[in-house]
Parts: sequence; C-alpha cells; structure tokens
Amino acid sequence: MKRPSSLAAAIAAVAVGVAAALPAAAHHSFATYDRTKTQTIKGTVKTFQWTNPHCVLWVVIQAPGGGEPQEWSIETTSPGVLTRSGWTRHSLSPGDRVSVEFNPLRDGSHGGGLNSVTLLDTGQTLKAGFGEEKPELK
Amino acid sequence: MVAPFAFLGAAALAFCTPGARAAGNEPLDPPPALKDYEALAKLPDWSGVWTPVISDQERQEQSNPPPWKPEIAKQIKKMYAEEEAGRPFPIIDHCFPTGMPSWMLITHNAFEVLFTPGRVTILGEGDGNRMRRIYTDGRSHPPDPDPSFHGHSIGHWEGDTLVIDTVAVLPQAYLAVNEAVGVPNDGDMHVVEHLHLLNADTLADDLDIAASKILTKTWHTTRKYYRQRAQKYEIVEGVCQQGKFIDAKDADGHDVFAPITFHENVPIGPSSK
Repeated sequence: MKRPSSLAAAIAAVAVGVAAALPAAAHHSFATYDRTKTQTIKGTVKTFQWTNPHCVLWVVIQAPGGGEPQEWSIETTSPGVLTRSGWTRHSLSPGDRVSVEFNPLRDGSHGGGLNSVTLLDTGQTLKAGFGEEKPELK
Repeated sequence: MVAPFAFLGAAALAFCTPGARAAGNEPLDPPPALKDYEALAKLPDWSGVWTPVISDQERQEQSNPPPWKPEIAKQIKKMYAEEEAGRPFPIIDHCFPTGMPSWMLITHNAFEVLFTPGRVTILGEGDGNRMRRIYTDGRSHPPDPDPSFHGHSIGHWEGDTLVIDTVAVLPQAYLAVNEAVGVPNDGDMHVVEHLHLLNADTLADDLDIAASKILTKTWHTTRKYYRQRAQKYEIVEGVCQQGKFIDAKDADGHDVFAPITFHENVPIGPSSK
C-alpha cells in the first residue's frame, strides 16, 4: 500500500485540482480537535446545520479586545445520534444567545468539537456525545 | 420438436461447463410463495434498530487488535501516533461507504435488519448507501463477482444464528479499528460472520476476517449492538456529501446547497459567502 502521508497528499492534490479549494472532508475522526483542552465562547447562533454526517453550530462572537466579529464552527455528531439524546433540528435557532463549551482546534483556528451548549435565555444545556449506552432506551 | 432439442442443448452446455451462465440458462429469482413468507415468522426476532456498543468497540480495539503483518504493524503504529498528535488519518473522510468489515467494526451509527424471502438486508444510517444484501436462498457466490465496498454475501441459518460468508470486497476498502487507524485490505479478503442474539436485546457479530495481504492469520473479533424500539431511534437518512454544504439561497432566491470551506478536514467559516 501507499504510505499514509503520500496517500493523503495525493487526495489533497486531487481535491485542490478539482475544487480549487481546501480539501473538504465531511466525515472524519474528532482526533483533529484537542481533547486535552476545553474552551468556552459566548455568542449568537448564526445557523445550526442539521446534516449528516456531522451537525455544525455556527456562532458569531465579539472578538476579544474589539475588532471584527468572529465566526466559529463547532462540530458535533449526526442528526440520528443527537435525536436520541433529545435534540431536534430546532434545538438551536439563528439569533439564540449561547455559551458553547468545546475542544478547540490545535492551531487556534476558529473551530472545535462540541461538548455542550447552553441557551443563555432559558438556561437549557444540550450535551454532545453518543448518549446513554444500553438497550431499549426511552 | 424444436423446443426439446433446444432444452437438451442448454442442459448439455450447463453440464459441460459448471458455473457457466450460458445464454438461456441465467439463474432466476423465483416468485416467493406463501410458505416462503411463513418461513420468515420462524426466524429470530431482530426487529427494531441496533445501536453499536461503542465502549465495547474501544475495549476490543485495545484488547484484541488484528494480527497485522510486521510491515503493516509499523504503519498502524504510525497512524496511532498521528491520531494522538491530532492528525487523524482520513479513513472515512472520502464519504465512500465504510465497507466491509469496517462498517460492522467501527460504526457509530445505527442499523436495521430486514428479512424477506431468500434474503437478509442490513440498512445503515451513516454515510449514505450503507447496505448489505445477504442472499439466503441457497445460492453460491458467483464465479467472478464484481468487487464492491460490501462484497458479495451469502448466508444460511444455523438455528437462530445467521452465518454470513462475504467475498469480493474492494481491495481499497479499509480494515479499520477506528476512524483514524486502518489499512486497505489489498484484496483476497474473506469474512465469515456469525450473527446472533446474546440475550433478548443484544445482537452479537462474531467475525472471522481473513486478509492474507495484511494479516498473519485469521482475526476473530466480536462486536455488539443494542436493540432500540423507541421510534426516535428509527433510522434517518444520512447523506455524507451533504455535510460538505450548507443551506443557502442563490441569486434567484432558490434554496440551494453552498459549499463550506474546510481546514484540516473540519469545517471553518465563513458559513456563507
């Protein structure tokens, strides 16, 4: 087999050639996010992307120290998995004020893997993850 | 008297070349009869939706790794190091089906099992197009099946256990132990599964995986799945490519999908242009 690094490079080269953009990967391991670190941001929901394979919460926050608002993308599991944990596609709506706890990207880019999100106006907290693990869940 | 001679000719050809699919001798799927549907009622109850026991997947990954060939083991070790460093190898990122047997080994999503006369069908939730057709009508594997992500599967019942034999999996399909660690099977893989209930609501898949290009011997491992009957667990559509796009409006006001920008394989804004 090809070495992983050369294969990854080949995939990247093809993706750049075709799309003239960064390689897009919809389904991936969450090891990209630094699970040894937890970060919290407060902001406003721009949109909540309820799609497979991963849902994405797009949040706009005021940049620390002023400046242009920042848009952050916080990823979590799939609609099917989240539904089983009590989420719906309406759990988060544009304009909702939220506090988001997540594992950040390692290079400081504005993205992360969701741990939990709290709706500041209601106090409701929604947790990420795969939920309880047992048969015949209600 | 033309017809009998034609019949004899076809029979002689089939006799002389076993397995050959001569014109006029193509195997047919006969229409099911009432008895075929009645036979389904005698099969074990595998209704509902089956969710993988992910914690057990992780235990198995640690306690019962595949018997990798030495050169493969070095690649696997490097993949674990890369994963630990936050650079997971993109095994599933292409949005192809995870394929066999990795679907059964590493999935985080649910599946359901359908019984129809002569066939068992397993439908998965993630990555779209996850579907296994397992023929239980007594047929053999075709002599030269086209390789596919899920391979060609035939099955038979031994009591309440479904024994599945799978060949012709694409050589590019990964034998993966998690979403970031695994290698392509490189061809000639053969998977035998014994799918059975461990107890009322736990389904077990005992897998024997022979992959001579990458393993030193057949790897025996087990994965478990829990039954869910609540309707909120029913399988939902999962189209992997959809995750590369976000809802948007075009210049004419139509609802369309707009591509998302990605960075290090994860979505990074802006979410709309």
